[in-house]
Amino acid sequence: MLLRYIARRILYVIPQLFGIILVSFLLVKLIPGDPAVMMLGPTASEQSLAALRDKMGYSKPLWQQFTYYIGAAVHGDFGSSWQTTRPVTEDLLQRFPATLELVTFGLLAAIAIGFPLGVAAARLQSGPVHKFAGYYRLVAGAIPDFWLALVLIFVFYTRLGWSAPPLGRIDMAVAPPKTVTGSLVIDSLIVGDVGALSSSFGHLVLPVLTLGIVNAGPILKMTQTTVTRALSSEFVRYAEMCGLPRRVVLRQAVRAALPAVVTIISVLYGFLIGGAVLVEIIFSWGGAGQYAVQGVLNADVNPVLGFVVFSAVLSLIIYLVVDLIYFALDPRTRG
Amino acid sequence: MSSIARSGPVPPTVPRAPKGSEARFQRLRFFFAILRARPSFAVGYGIVATVVVIALLAPWLAPYGPMTADPSVYLLPPGGNHLLGTDGTGMDIFSRVLFAPRIDLAIAIVGTFVSATIGGGVGALVGYYEGQQTWRRAVSTMVMRSADVLQAFPVFVFAIALVAVFGQSVKSIILAIAFVNTPIYLRLMRIQVRSIRQLRYVEAAYVAGASDLAILRRHVIPNSIAPLVAQLSVNIGWSVLLTAGLSFVGAGVVAPTPEWGSMVAMGFQNVVTGQWWPSVFPGIALCITVVGFGLVGESLEVLLDPERRQVLSGSLR
Repeated sequence: MLLRYIARRILYVIPQLFGIILVSFLLVKLIPGDPAVMMLGPTASEQSLAALRDKMGYSKPLWQQFTYYIGAAVHGDFGSSWQTTRPVTEDLLQRFPATLELVTFGLLAAIAIGFPLGVAAARLQSGPVHKFAGYYRLVAGAIPDFWLALVLIFVFYTRLGWSAPPLGRIDMAVAPPKTVTGSLVIDSLIVGDVGALSSSFGHLVLPVLTLGIVNAGPILKMTQTTVTRALSSEFVRYAEMCGLPRRVVLRQAVRAALPAVVTIISVLYGFLIGGAVLVEIIFSWGGAGQYAVQGVLNADVNPVLGFVVFSAVLSLIIYLVVDLIYFALDPRTRG
Repeated sequence: MSSIARSGPVPPTVPRAPKGSEARFQRLRFFFAILRARPSFAVGYGIVATVVVIALLAPWLAPYGPMTADPSVYLLPPGGNHLLGTDGTGMDIFSRVLFAPRIDLAIAIVGTFVSATIGGGVGALVGYYEGQQTWRRAVSTMVMRSADVLQAFPVFVFAIALVAVFGQSVKSIILAIAFVNTPIYLRLMRIQVRSIRQLRYVEAAYVAGASDLAILRRHVIPNSIAPLVAQLSVNIGWSVLLTAGLSFVGAGVVAPTPEWGSMVAMGFQNVVTGQWWPSVFPGIALCITVVGFGLVGESLEVLLDPERRQVLSGSLR
């Protein structure tokens, strides 16, 4: 049952993925700027330019380039970037862990802020907590993340000197731990390297706080709405009439609200993979989003395409996983 | 807005509106009563009105030219002759903050309206004609899958790529915003129209011999447009944020032009060394503007929903 469901989902995803690659391929091909000129410089001779274009396949018709690209992509080859002169797949595999680390911890921070506040605001229909949640919901969605990042840097780095400078994921002087998961914090925990742990953690705090504060808004809103609705529903009234303690009743209401909250979290996760770009840039994070933006700005085609495909696949995987969690949480979907 | 108020079912608590100027007066009184009951809505309308007025009157309000750089007074802290200080090139931040909504709002409003027109139009057609026949189902499936594809893109990178393709200009930013937002309106309108077209009065109009186009125009669209209008305001706020974000990475409005996002970017290096004002003030202006449009959107959501409006007007007495 479950396996068949997953198989159907994947079958449904393939044409979508094809569409994504097609659209981004055409779009990226339209970006003005000749990669051959960019690589060899403006003084290169027409002959060497033509030779390079031939070598990279740019002289063939567009549909041939596309079929070639798809064929290679299926085997995990997304071409190479002329900026880093390395295969895009390698570049992305090196950078995506950085993005995922940032986004995952940022999302966890958002949940840590939004979820309890939402439950509390739903439980207390008046008073300071309810009011605060209302204001927070309003402002959180309106704060530009790149601006908040700068304010946090100013306060905690420039003024107070508590946090690490906004330059990358770890101090230049500290050797990064052996790669296990790709997350510097978790890796140094596994290896037991205290110096690397404190350095990488110090660099992680501000960007994660930025993402957490900004993205807690939707989680707060969804939690508050669904828990409020659950609290006024029949089954909660029944539980209250039976004389169950408040705490137990609240737990039941929160349990009923979980599927909706999980959904909004998954949507945010998918969005953040490409949406944390500005925060990545400010903190020189060296993540995949930053890599893609550099690609667009320098007519470097392959990194952009590779990033779009990678992040699309990643968000599809996330949606699939969330559907499975949904399966476990909501008895109605199990049929 | 008046056409929507007319088309929705009139709530029983509001007396049936008389004609002409008196009707307008009553509607206005109802509106102000609501603003009194829900002060946050009043704040929202106040912010939006203020920002629009500032945008219109900027040349008369600003003490300095928005792009006049005076190198002798660079990085002055707030106060004195320069209310919000000056930036690294010696431009007056207050004047630039006042001028910025001209370009930010123009881009956001035009981009949002383009996406609402295209998305809403296609969504209405798909929702109305979607049916049993194979080819109709095929067309609607194709449109919806295309919307899926558009929405599966990482929004920000997609927008930057669009700006890169069409050249760095205001037109390209508008286009990027329109592209990114169109699927939202498409979905919204399709779902609305699908539920409205099954109602009795649509059936009655059909039996009476009205053409499809007339039914869509006179009956279906006016009754399904409310959520779209509420979405518009919220979306303008988002689009201001997106415009600022694009300008921040250098793919939006070009530097000396006064724009909140690019102003924040220009002050980036100064913030790290301790001069916070070039970046902080434009960010605050940006934030307040987006909050204002969000509040207006929230109020429209309530006012344009007949049921919720009734609850609200009931609570007024």
